[in-house]
Amino acid sequence: MQFKVKENKGLGEKVYHTVLNSGLSLFVLPKQSFSKKYAIFSTRFGSIDNSFFLEGNGEKHLKVPDGVAHFLEHKLFDQEDGNAFDHFAAYGGSPNAYTSFTQTTYLFSCTDFFPENFNLLLDFVQSPYFTEESVAKEQGIIQQEIRMYQDNPDWRVFFNLLESLYSEHPVRNDIAGSVESISFITKDILYTCYNTFYHPSNMAIFVTGDLSPQEVLALVERNMAGKSFSQPENIQRDYPMEQPEVQRKEVSQELSVSQPIINIGFKDTYNYLDGKELLFRDLACELMLELIFGKSESFYNRLYDEEIIDDLFSADYIAECTYGYTLISARTNDPDRLHHEVLMEIEQVRKRGLNEEDFNRHKRKLRGELLRSFNSLEFIANNYLAYKFRGIEFFDIVDLLQDITLEDLEKMLAEHLQEKYHAISVIKPYSG
Amino acid sequence: MLFPESKTVPININTHILPTTKFKTIIITVFIQQILDKELAARTALIPAVLERGTSGCPTYRDLRKRLEELYGAELTADVSKKGEKHVLTFSLEVINDKFVPGEKLLRRGLELLKDVLADPLLENGTFKSSYVEQEKRQLEKEINSLINDKISYALERCIQNMCYSERFGVFKYGAVSDLEKITPETLYQYYVNLLAENPIDIVIVGEVEPEKTYSLVEDIFSFSRSSRLKEIPPAEAKNVPAEIRYFQEKLPVNQGKLNLGYRTNFAYSDDEYLALLFYNGILGGFPHSKLFQNVREKASLAYYVFSRLEKHKGIQLIGSGIDVENYELALEIIEKQVELVRHGEISQEEMENTRIGLINQYKTIGDSPYNLVNFFLDGLVGESAKGLEYYIEGLQSVKKDDVVEIAQKVYLDTVYFLRSPDGEERGETV
Repeated sequence: MQFKVKENKGLGEKVYHTVLNSGLSLFVLPKQSFSKKYAIFSTRFGSIDNSFFLEGNGEKHLKVPDGVAHFLEHKLFDQEDGNAFDHFAAYGGSPNAYTSFTQTTYLFSCTDFFPENFNLLLDFVQSPYFTEESVAKEQGIIQQEIRMYQDNPDWRVFFNLLESLYSEHPVRNDIAGSVESISFITKDILYTCYNTFYHPSNMAIFVTGDLSPQEVLALVERNMAGKSFSQPENIQRDYPMEQPEVQRKEVSQELSVSQPIINIGFKDTYNYLDGKELLFRDLACELMLELIFGKSESFYNRLYDEEIIDDLFSADYIAECTYGYTLISARTNDPDRLHHEVLMEIEQVRKRGLNEEDFNRHKRKLRGELLRSFNSLEFIANNYLAYKFRGIEFFDIVDLLQDITLEDLEKMLAEHLQEKYHAISVIKPYSG
Repeated sequence: MLFPESKTVPININTHILPTTKFKTIIITVFIQQILDKELAARTALIPAVLERGTSGCPTYRDLRKRLEELYGAELTADVSKKGEKHVLTFSLEVINDKFVPGEKLLRRGLELLKDVLADPLLENGTFKSSYVEQEKRQLEKEINSLINDKISYALERCIQNMCYSERFGVFKYGAVSDLEKITPETLYQYYVNLLAENPIDIVIVGEVEPEKTYSLVEDIFSFSRSSRLKEIPPAEAKNVPAEIRYFQEKLPVNQGKLNLGYRTNFAYSDDEYLALLFYNGILGGFPHSKLFQNVREKASLAYYVFSRLEKHKGIQLIGSGIDVENYELALEIIEKQVELVRHGEISQEEMENTRIGLINQYKTIGDSPYNLVNFFLDGLVGESAKGLEYYIEGLQSVKKDDVVEIAQKVYLDTVYFLRSPDGEERGETV
């Protein structure tokens, strides 16, 4: 099996890629001198994939309970011969997993016994073992996870916002589902989802550390040798049609917090984007937000001096294939004033335009931040696959960032951050 | 040796350099040590916030941020941390290695900027700018109050505060709101001038640098006046055998109760027994294979998270878990049972070996993150225990079960704290 090599001189990194017969993608990024090895095994199955057609058969449509991808993530650790956590413990591997809106990722880090730990990862992810009893036990644990998040104001303010921004798209549902929705999850539902979304052709592995691509490939091939896979099917996900309009303009909730927390969301209007086009939009919007709301800009400094915001204020763009939005987040004693100021500022910036000098400075900053993040094996692996699943070559960011012009930002400014497509979510301290 | 290169620059600042080619950045960190004290905590905490507002060269926050952005988004952080009963002011600047941005002198520029933040703050009539001080006082007040937003951290902090109510360790790292009012720009500035002149200062530099050149660079740039005799900052008292177990509850409208247990281990970071203490904590609650995770979560299905961790400079172990309020007695019983098992030597060979390999793994990976490296160094500095990573990696190899059981005999439960919703049975003294 031959590797394709992708090198980025600006980053000083090389990544090796190959596709196995089963359709599984393998990426290796050697990092000499690091003691840690880090591997992730990821599937394109996230919380938004709750409605799909079985086995590519257009007739059989299935709607599964909210939170099933996350539930499955928990359950895969339970193996017929015990918990996968325990198996890693013998080799000093630290396994973990996380579920996002669009993918589920299993991972471990270790220093020694890489082959043993890596085999365990490949094995447990590919050996589903669900029983009614173990499903019931997990419901108790996940209920506590959900309750923990119910008390987390940053989480609540964010999901209340998504629920308001979107009317139909499943991004509006909590990743873990609800205490109610997970009570409908059965072992059969888990098997169905597993068989649909855990085919190697829907998955990818990324390994980084002081390892050679050949040795990693040999380990994967040996592990897969005894396993047989059905023909890859084209998974048909079924995302409902989402209108540009928001579900509701405003939502608020009371929690025990010291002061109000606000999230302001601007919904973007595309229906589907991927690859360079999506990356381009992502970078252009990030830069545009930096130019308007960044810490070196007048807006931030004026409102900080007036004590309307503090240094937790942030503005980010989120770019997924089937949805995109801008998220502005702050802790403030005056949510109404901040909301008003944000809308005013966008209007003002539209009038006065963006500044070339600021643009170049922010671009520089973004480039530096990107380089800096390449100190972390976890960052590289997690982001590489997250971008890959959106059809984006992660290393392209560096060059694409250079190509972006002020005009691109101005085009985005004209298109995005529309007042009519925005919503706000506020968490307030309990009254009385 | 972790830091083979170490030198004291003329103005009585210890400089430590760790050359490594692993990272794309160079991280410069300055530590100023102060005693953790109720009277001083708020003032100490306010210093980094005020210094970060502006220097004489970059008089506004906006100027400073622009400067950082020009340096390819150099990351400046200024904060305080609580290490045992020492309060550490930390200023850190991370710049890109010049080889990725040819023609730049980011290390020099970064050092200059960091020195300006520390030693050349914006002054107004010979003291800190009063609007900066007043604004940062109110921001710090909000920061102190916002602890309650994160219930896991809040419960841990409240457990410590109640447990160590009469000790310096019970002081919150940002101090108390009531102490902010009396701070004026003048008193704060005078306090800082003394701090900068008389308290121990260490500079740590991690990255691809040439030690000799870097020392002269530091010597060149960090040239403000310092006292020749520095203050001594006393270490924390780790010995404490509680007379009784105290039970506290606090009522808030929450969905999930947070149960915290505070133990006195009676061992300090510099003790030889610290290695066995790491095992004790690891077997009990440091890993997924630990007794707490296996029994509270996996067997009883009571919690999503349950852990134990060490406050290594104070000899305290904290156990934390998120549970339903009505499961309080059951969770407490299971947790105490696990502690009891370790005390009676019910530790399997597998638990010993899994903990050993897990701990060694943790120490081996410290060097893969510049911030973990710097933090490890700071622990050695504060804990007065200048042991390198090798000491831990080798020492952990030979810890035996008996050593762990011996540790367990000296560990005492001191405080049980429960953050909970208002309804249901009472569980301890309400605080």
